[in-house]
Amino acid sequence: MIMGSKAGPAPILSIEDLQVSLFTRRGVLPAVDGLSLTVSAGETLAIVGESGCGKSLTALAIMRLLPNPPAKIVGGAVRFMGRDLAALSEREMQRVRGKDISMIFQDPMTSLNPVVAVGDQLIEAIRRHNDVSRHEARDRAIELLRQVRIPDAERRFNDYPHQMSGGMSQRVMIAMAIACGPKLLIADEPTTALDVTIQAQIIELMKELQSSSDMGLIIITHDLGVVAEVADRVAVMYAGRKVEEAPVEALFERPLHRYTRGLLGATPSAQRRRGSRLVEITGNVPALSDLPQGCAFQNRCPDVLDRCRAERPQLAPLLPHRSAACFAAEKELSRDAAAIGA
Amino acid sequence: MLTLFFDFARRFARNRAALVGLFLVLVVVGVAIAAPWWFPRNPLRIVGRPEIWPFMSPRYPLGTDSLGRDIAAMIAHGARTTLLIGLCASLTATIIGITVGATAAYVGGWVDELLMRLTELFQTIPNLIFVLTIVSILGQKIEYVTIAVGVVTWTPIARLTRAEFMSLRDREFVQACRAMGMGSLWIMFGEILPNALPPVIVLSSLVVAGAVLFESAVAFLGLGDPNVTSWGQLIGDGRTLIRSSWYICAVPGLAIMLTVLALNLVGDGLNDALNPKLRDR
Amino acid sequence: MRRIIIRRLVQIIPLIFAVIVMNFVLIHLAPGSLFDVMTSEQQITDPKMLDQLRHTYGVDQPVSVQLAKYIWSVMRLDLGYSYRQNAPVFDVIMQQLPATLILMLAAIGIALLVGVTAGVLASIKVNTIWDNLISLGAVFFFAAPSFWLGIMMTVMFAVKLGWFPVGGMRTIGVDESAFGAVLDVMHHLVLPATALGLFYAATFARVMRASMLEVARLDFVRTARAKGLSGGRVVLAHVMRNAMLPIVTLLGLQLGTMLGGSVVIEAVFSWPGIGSLLFDSVMSRNFPMVLGVLVLGSLLVAVCNATVDLLYLRLDPRIKAR
Repeated sequence: MIMGSKAGPAPILSIEDLQVSLFTRRGVLPAVDGLSLTVSAGETLAIVGESGCGKSLTALAIMRLLPNPPAKIVGGAVRFMGRDLAALSEREMQRVRGKDISMIFQDPMTSLNPVVAVGDQLIEAIRRHNDVSRHEARDRAIELLRQVRIPDAERRFNDYPHQMSGGMSQRVMIAMAIACGPKLLIADEPTTALDVTIQAQIIELMKELQSSSDMGLIIITHDLGVVAEVADRVAVMYAGRKVEEAPVEALFERPLHRYTRGLLGATPSAQRRRGSRLVEITGNVPALSDLPQGCAFQNRCPDVLDRCRAERPQLAPLLPHRSAACFAAEKELSRDAAAIGA
Repeated sequence: MLTLFFDFARRFARNRAALVGLFLVLVVVGVAIAAPWWFPRNPLRIVGRPEIWPFMSPRYPLGTDSLGRDIAAMIAHGARTTLLIGLCASLTATIIGITVGATAAYVGGWVDELLMRLTELFQTIPNLIFVLTIVSILGQKIEYVTIAVGVVTWTPIARLTRAEFMSLRDREFVQACRAMGMGSLWIMFGEILPNALPPVIVLSSLVVAGAVLFESAVAFLGLGDPNVTSWGQLIGDGRTLIRSSWYICAVPGLAIMLTVLALNLVGDGLNDALNPKLRDR
Repeated sequence: MRRIIIRRLVQIIPLIFAVIVMNFVLIHLAPGSLFDVMTSEQQITDPKMLDQLRHTYGVDQPVSVQLAKYIWSVMRLDLGYSYRQNAPVFDVIMQQLPATLILMLAAIGIALLVGVTAGVLASIKVNTIWDNLISLGAVFFFAAPSFWLGIMMTVMFAVKLGWFPVGGMRTIGVDESAFGAVLDVMHHLVLPATALGLFYAATFARVMRASMLEVARLDFVRTARAKGLSGGRVVLAHVMRNAMLPIVTLLGLQLGTMLGGSVVIEAVFSWPGIGSLLFDSVMSRNFPMVLGVLVLGSLLVAVCNATVDLLYLRLDPRIKAR
């Protein structure tokens, strides 16, 4: 796994073999299965995949905010600055949330309390982790609103969420998330619910805030345009597992896993398309309750091998700094190597 | 049709509390039906020594009241009154409610506005005060009590019917009926009503429970029909003896509580079984 | 804001107007002449007085004139004269009203306190023994007639244990300081307010539980937790704050029923409010008083409803936008 991790500073977050299960009436389903990830300070990791692949559950697992029931961490460790978050008590975890790790969510319009003025929601976040007076917190909150580019911050401070647009609300959410100077920010589909023009502004804002504070950023998305814009490294998830990880340029240059190829092909905003044809991924994600034996992607894969149906591919370091769990990719690369060797 | 019924019964039976409720309702209905055979003589007649405690005398299992009347006989006959008034009042309320709600929704415009104001009016008038006023003006007769209770309980049914009609009014099948030239009345009651009925039935069953409570309060205050046995009246009569014989109040009160409880549970069960969200699937 | 308040208050006027008209219809619905009943029940035989009354009630004029006269007199708060109390109906009712208001407020207080607490507790401990016990209790108190509950509580806490007085509002013959008098009234208030409040507590508990569970699933609760707030703070400041809104609506809808319920409770505990007055008037067929209570009771509920609506406006900032 040496090549999978990026050379540089020690990671602030390292997830090791995380297992999240859904305890449903139909049985225990492995929603996140043996996931390992690292994020360093100042680095941006993008987690991509279709809905239901376990990327949001991963984010909630880091925050220990999984909806329980049905979801529960059943194995693995989430190491943050040396501590295993999965083993902390709820009270200890509360001191981490919002202070060391913050999170923003997909739908800003529903993520703010509708009956509390946004300023008060900001003050609440500030005073939870800092011993400051209400007055000081108010000044800090207005400062934060300015920082996230909310015009007329002092007046907006007393507004209620329904008086704000989606983009404005997401700015408030971001202000709230960075209020206590977190070391890691998790953004779960932060732009999905917004207009295209607003999306770009929000992404721009997040990039800017990150560069000025050296915080780690995990951005969860299915929008490869966003990935190309902000990410340093990309992890691709499918049916609860990580199937490929690579630096962002390398991934767009040459996606290894056939699923990643499908994703890049299916995204009109992707910078590169393989050849001229637009590849649609046919079929649907298999339900967690009846995953096939072997590779979970086999029924949608254009290059499926007999081996894929019999055996589940393991994540392997196929190229420097990157890994993938795909027999077809392995075969292709060994053929390339043979060609070079010949 | 039969499979539809079995389907309904299965969903109802899934709610165990509702089954308990149904059982209790059937017991009360059984007692009410059997009362004339069980206690053939006038329950208000004096049979023995006053204030015999329950379970003390095998002849009067629930004891006797301050006048020496058999409490068991009065409870059994009272079940008839209670159920009859409850059902009739609920029926009255349902008829008024459906008529008002359906008309408001179907006709719309100023008629809707007017009828909704009327509904608001009846919601504002303190309902028990209204019942007492009607009974005191018209007289203490069982029919008047029933109508009065019906008149104060129809508003939620009207609101619900209106809401259901509103959502059904513009559906394709209604438009088709209009295109075929059906009359308004026929469309309202022949086509829309059957579709709007399930949630209304649930509410009506809950109104029965409310009506039983109203009736008992009226009878308790001594404003019920003096010639008919009623549980509330029994409590009212026994009130003066709470220092010595509180059971005279306790027994009929328990009967009211269990009946209302059972009706509520059945209503909840019906709600689950007829839940429109589940039905649409 | 002031405009909203005024607009809401203006809405009450047609409502009260309708109540007055209905009163008038009720009078004319009565079998026989209500006037005859009234005069005979109140044992007025003096022909001069009868003439005077006939004129006051306008019995000798056409129905439309009578209606107009009736409306006009009610508008001037002239609800007639009660010979039983030997005072104008309006004055008698106003004198009895505070006791009823105290009882209702106390009952609302108990209902909110018990109901909301139970509902919150049940939702936090959902599907545990606590939840089941609270649901069971709610089902029972939802089915028990309040007057019966009152009597049973009297048997238990007043007769057997002697903790509370059996009835009334003040201890007779004890001259106390103002503070002592308040305590005395509160002591008398406990049983009737509880008996009246528990039914509504049961309703509130059920609604609050459902509402809490619903709100707890919403996105902003997750945001609150992501801020690092403690579980208690999340429940109090975020979930409860929103879950209370349906309770406020429900409270508004139930005020009328509650005022009706206080009639029975006042009869049980000989509480000297308008309920006792109504009961007494119905029994003595004192119709001006009965109709007066109906009109003023409706007015009271309408005003309380408007108050609750305005309270809702304060609690939910989204309404103003509409």
